[in-house]
Amino acid sequence: MAGSETQEAQDNVVEFPASEAQAPFLEVRNLHKRFGGVHALRGVDMKIEPGQIYHLLGENGCGKSTLIKVISGAHPQSEGQLLIDGTAQQEFDPIRALAAGIETVYQDLSLLPNLSVAENIGLSQQLVQSNGRLFRWLKPGQLRRTARKALEAVELPTDAKFRKTEVSRLPIATRQLVAIARAIAGKARFVIMDEPTTALTRFEVENLISVVRKLQREGVAVLFVTHKLDECKAIGGRALVMRDGEMVADCDIGEISKARLGFLMTGRELEEGRYREARAAQTPLLEVRGLGRRGGFRDVDLTLARGEILGVTGLLDSGRNELAKALAGVAPADTGAITMAGKALHLAVPNDASQAGIGYVPEDRLTEGLFLEKPILDNTVMGILDRLRNRFGLLDKRRAVEEAERMSRELQIVAPDVSAPVKSLSGGNQQRVLIGRWLATAPQVLILHGPTVGVDVGSKDTIYRIIQAQAEAGMGVLIISDDLPELLQNCDRIAVMQKGRIKAVVPADEITQDRLYVEMGASLKGDELNASEGAQA
Amino acid sequence: MTDTTFGTASRDRENRFTQAIEWLARNPIAFPVLLICLVCLVVGAINPSFWQVANLFDILRASVVRGLFALGVLTVLAAGGLEVSFASIAALVMYSVTKFVVNYAPDLGILPILVMGAAGGTLCGMLNGMLVNWLKAPALIVTIGTQYAFRGIVLTFIGTSLFMNIPVSMDAFGQVNLMTITNSSEFEVKLPAYVLILVVAACVTWVILNRTLIGRAIYAVGGKPEIAERLGFRVPRVQLFVFSFAGMLAGIAGILHVSANRLANPFDLAGSELAVIAAVVLGGARITGGAGTVGGTMLGVLLITLVNNVLVLVGIPSTWQTAILGGFILFAGLFFTLTEKK
Repeated sequence: MAGSETQEAQDNVVEFPASEAQAPFLEVRNLHKRFGGVHALRGVDMKIEPGQIYHLLGENGCGKSTLIKVISGAHPQSEGQLLIDGTAQQEFDPIRALAAGIETVYQDLSLLPNLSVAENIGLSQQLVQSNGRLFRWLKPGQLRRTARKALEAVELPTDAKFRKTEVSRLPIATRQLVAIARAIAGKARFVIMDEPTTALTRFEVENLISVVRKLQREGVAVLFVTHKLDECKAIGGRALVMRDGEMVADCDIGEISKARLGFLMTGRELEEGRYREARAAQTPLLEVRGLGRRGGFRDVDLTLARGEILGVTGLLDSGRNELAKALAGVAPADTGAITMAGKALHLAVPNDASQAGIGYVPEDRLTEGLFLEKPILDNTVMGILDRLRNRFGLLDKRRAVEEAERMSRELQIVAPDVSAPVKSLSGGNQQRVLIGRWLATAPQVLILHGPTVGVDVGSKDTIYRIIQAQAEAGMGVLIISDDLPELLQNCDRIAVMQKGRIKAVVPADEITQDRLYVEMGASLKGDELNASEGAQA
Repeated sequence: MTDTTFGTASRDRENRFTQAIEWLARNPIAFPVLLICLVCLVVGAINPSFWQVANLFDILRASVVRGLFALGVLTVLAAGGLEVSFASIAALVMYSVTKFVVNYAPDLGILPILVMGAAGGTLCGMLNGMLVNWLKAPALIVTIGTQYAFRGIVLTFIGTSLFMNIPVSMDAFGQVNLMTITNSSEFEVKLPAYVLILVVAACVTWVILNRTLIGRAIYAVGGKPEIAERLGFRVPRVQLFVFSFAGMLAGIAGILHVSANRLANPFDLAGSELAVIAAVVLGGARITGGAGTVGGTMLGVLLITLVNNVLVLVGIPSTWQTAILGGFILFAGLFFTLTEKK
């Protein structure tokens, strides 16, 4: 089914640009954007044709987000032109962008959690109709019809109960689809999706892609902002690559290698193969026997040796996330035993784990890990405050700064200095600050939960090197992730979980992604993504 | 999630509990309803004389000013702010307008007086809104500031002495009754007409919040202001509107307060702020914004007035009423935290 859809879609792709040699839907010429002293966009040129799929690639901080915000009217440009259907736009703002049919699905989805599905989908349309004026009657009939039509297009339920559900009560994948439904509810001509697949499972990603193909057939242009190169290649279309505020490439994504894309994005050659050379497991460090938590996982046996990197993966409901939280003391296990270097551990609260020498870098660094408003300094030394006491029991500020600076240097954190607030950093740098906090405590075991979620290729490379160096130095590392290439590149062994149990533990250098998927219990039927990944390898 | 089968029985019980919590989370209005029923049943069981229409009239009459305040607080709270200057606005407006009318236009009818009250309140509210927009400060801080400022202005520039010779039209308006009945102890109990103003205000608030774009924009801003802005909702306008609206209701409430009590006292209404906010929260509005209904708010007001008025009937000293109210509010806090966790 998916195959024939692709075929159809491709037929259409050929048709659209060929039909008329008119002006592209959207064009930017020599676009500049400055924030105070920061020159975020340095003369970007870009053309968006109807019915075409684009992938905007680049490292964090390269100007991708700024470009999107200018196109969607959220930021005015400092210099340069923005043309829609060949007409230069003056005083472009969100309402005008929407009126022109430019819809943006931001990574945070921009949904209003306390409003209903129907309102989230249909309110913008009425806002555009009233030209932003608020003293207008709400049109409930229109709201209902718009919501129904849009929900149908993304294959979500259209009944009144679902339409009236508060968005905060929906699972993340459904929210993603609601956000897309809103984007296409109006007369969308260009949909921008900022990292739409980060929080989705494989099945949900496929669902999303089929929605995108449908849009494409209707002549809507789609722009993905993403870090997942494999996914881009599977979807096809054009690659727009940015580096340091400039557009460095605009080419067919099928005709360019991943290595070349990586080079274009970062300006340096990146490791493609394994970061790790397998080594024999040495002395056991962390041992888990018969561990279980009701509703999460059970009968989990695992051994992590000193200097070993063990991966844990599985589908979203496999219990991998719950296992990670149990080992960190965040959501403790209720059966089984954990021993560290032969000593029994009782992990009831996170502090038990850190006292025992287990560091835990959570998946959602923004809400679970970092104090975003606080400087790098505070975030880094948080775990070692007792070590930085001076003789009066107060914090030795000078040593704290030294420690934070040392960590910043070691982890190559890019920031003016350690007093910069964490929220001003890019995703990759934020993640390094979080890892740095744990490394400062010199843990024996480091649990990394989705260590590179939302992190660009260049930063990934740096983070992987840090992980390898730590394992080299004798730390036991547990990586819990659904990013299979990441596990294959970094681990000694990979444990695959399914329905709450460990299904298999396999050496990472002897298994392929496809085999891992089968072990996870993922459906491979009609799996175009997978086929292309296989072709890649 | 998993197809595991451990602890089926206890899980069923847990499920039923979770379901109940989820149901209540979706219907927060059930909370004040339950408490109102509880209070009524307990008080009525101990003292059957509670069950008479006269008591209902008393409670309705006593709910009017608080109800108008609460509708304003609800509107601001729904937009994610917190407004505590309404009692000061009411005091400033009622005292200034009454004094002005007495001295310069003693024959003015009630309608123009109400309009003056509404306009004065709106101006004060607009000031709140503009300060919130300009200073980009939390609404709570701004309105604590203006609360003192408004009260200071009335006492410094307008006057400090109470007077009872209020304009004839105001006095008369306070005495117009919809219904008069004689209660068991041969007392005449009246249902004043100004209760209708609360009913109208509640209906208007409901229509604004539920049937207009600005109403949906208010909840949008209260849910996530930065996202609402990105979607094209003009946040400063929404702020200006909610504070002006709350100010208008406070101005009207002030005029009604004078009419009902037949005297104008600039020291009145101070200290009533927290009870009003408590009523709104008991009615199911989230203190962090973005939620709350007119129906719930009215029930919350009813609950608070009920506790204030009828506990005397069962011989509970008035000092204890405050403690019981405190207990309810803590209970409400606990309850809504429980439902928040989903």
